[in-house]
Amino acid sequence: MDDVIIAILRSATPLVYVTLAGVIAQRAGIWHLGLEGLMIAGACATILGTVLTGSIFSALLIAMVICIVASILFWFVVEKLKANQIIAGLGLTGLGLGGTTLAVESIFGSQAAVTAPSGLPRLGAMFGAYGTLSILVLLMPLFVFAVWVLLCRTRFGLRLSAAGEHPFAARSVGVNPGRMRLIALMIGGVLCALGGAELASGSLQFFSQNMTAGRGFMAFAAVIFGAGHPIGATFAALFFAIVGAIGIRAQLVFGERVPHDLLLALPYLATVFGIWLSARLRGGVKAVTGFGELRDS
Amino acid sequence: MTESIVSVFRALIFIVIALALCGLIFSVAGYSAPDMFRAIIDGAFLRTGALQQALRWGLPLFITAAGVVISFRAGYFNIGAQGQFYIGAICAAFAADWLNGLPAFIVIPACFLAGMTGGALWAMWPGILRLRSGADEVITTLMGNFLAVIVLIYVTSGPLKDPSGSGQQASSRPLDAAYRISTSYGVSPTIIAIAVLVGIFMWLLVNRTAFGVLSGLAGRNATMVTWQGARLWNIGLASFIISGALAGLAGTVELMGPNGRLASGFLPAHGFTAILIALVANLSIVGTAIVALFFGGLASAALYLPVIAGLPSSAIDIINAAIALFITAKSNIVDRFLRNWRKRVWTT
Repeated sequence: MDDVIIAILRSATPLVYVTLAGVIAQRAGIWHLGLEGLMIAGACATILGTVLTGSIFSALLIAMVICIVASILFWFVVEKLKANQIIAGLGLTGLGLGGTTLAVESIFGSQAAVTAPSGLPRLGAMFGAYGTLSILVLLMPLFVFAVWVLLCRTRFGLRLSAAGEHPFAARSVGVNPGRMRLIALMIGGVLCALGGAELASGSLQFFSQNMTAGRGFMAFAAVIFGAGHPIGATFAALFFAIVGAIGIRAQLVFGERVPHDLLLALPYLATVFGIWLSARLRGGVKAVTGFGELRDS
Repeated sequence: MTESIVSVFRALIFIVIALALCGLIFSVAGYSAPDMFRAIIDGAFLRTGALQQALRWGLPLFITAAGVVISFRAGYFNIGAQGQFYIGAICAAFAADWLNGLPAFIVIPACFLAGMTGGALWAMWPGILRLRSGADEVITTLMGNFLAVIVLIYVTSGPLKDPSGSGQQASSRPLDAAYRISTSYGVSPTIIAIAVLVGIFMWLLVNRTAFGVLSGLAGRNATMVTWQGARLWNIGLASFIISGALAGLAGTVELMGPNGRLASGFLPAHGFTAILIALVANLSIVGTAIVALFFGGLASAALYLPVIAGLPSSAIDIINAAIALFITAKSNIVDRFLRNWRKRVWTT
């Protein structure tokens, strides 16, 4: 039983961090399809940073800086240049995927996976079987709680929601929606960096091309599934992770009778199911307003 | 007319900005940005045979992009062109495998039918989920892409596996030469004819039919179209089916033309590039044809880069992504600049 829970925690933690980033952006009125790109940038920067500097903490710092800079670029494009969020988000994802491949190629001269000598700090022996999990797994509930407090229990969170839902009203009481979105995306950048770091450095400590494999999009789906609420979205992300873990478990138990490819497909199928279910539950009203344009009034 | 000239200039300005961003990224990564751009321009447009290569890559891209135009115009963000392209190619490959041995004039049309049906069906389930339940098509079509990649891996390493293939990349048994519609070089009268037919039909569909008018209106204001008495369900489903069928057709063309076999993960950037083409062309069919040739040139340069300059071919992915980041931008700053500039130029 322990190993199942460990597997679930291991695959859920990166997803939850990135989902929280998506929730904050969603609250600010931004459909953040660049999560995948930020996540892989965070993963790549953590591993390359560890290899080059030798310290996991400076690597995390580098990853956060890179993700924040990329988030600011995204903000500039959708807020100042009024680009379509969906296409710009996909562009950011493409930049992340291509840029990390280029970075690995230009530093190591090949496209092979890069292994880091050390990873994130582990929980240690006092947690027994769970000691191999990284410290970010333990911090995950704290982050969920912190984001919940921030969004649902503070003045800042209310202003953020106002900036996303009714920018005109927000502006009329002196809140600058553009600045709120910038702050939201920057916090999201930090969270994506942590998610990417946990993915790459939390258990196996390596980076390979396209290693996020759509997790950023799954996180985005979890935001929709969880109706933009931090707790709901976290449970949605946990659901996707549990489906993946059940698939792996099924293969261990039933062996070759479960086709390997079906196993790979399970998380994506679960995501489609989640999106369908959340649309059914909310009476088929689409969450987005307009053609992926930022709300201005 | 002047409005469209402004939009072309705006697109060009943002493409230049995107290229500047790429130059910055390449310089940081330690490559010489000017060299890289020279190699791209050389590979795409100046070397001998560049036009044929631009056609070879551009024609299938045009077919897929025309489908993207149809669904985007109707207001549906079907970004699953890649998955529909793969499923189309897979269905065509199955058809060719089952009918192997029959004369080519039966097999080739059957393959095209199978490919288009496959692509249409792969676009249909997100369409139905969207229209019946309101499930967001951006996510479902994206997930469809990932699922199609898995199906392709399964098919090329399972039912259609080429037993003589090397371990490097799983691929299917090659098509019989009689069923190919072009050589590996990739341009043939058949493919050009298919692309021209698609262009003519889609242009007529968009500009000369009730469906074209209604879907264009539905994309801008669905409520109004419903109140006018049009069936949003029919328009929506038809646009999903048409866009999927065209992506499947492009997959079939790639399979029966230049590729000749399925390989797992072939042409991974096709769908994304097609979406870019449709957006750069501002969702017009004629524009899509022109822009597709430009991006076809870029795609052929991607293969040319590692050979000529020792540069990674992922450079083209980065350029495409940077263009995607900026292409839908419609900054007031640029618009104002363009309007003033036009006034100055046209009044003097």
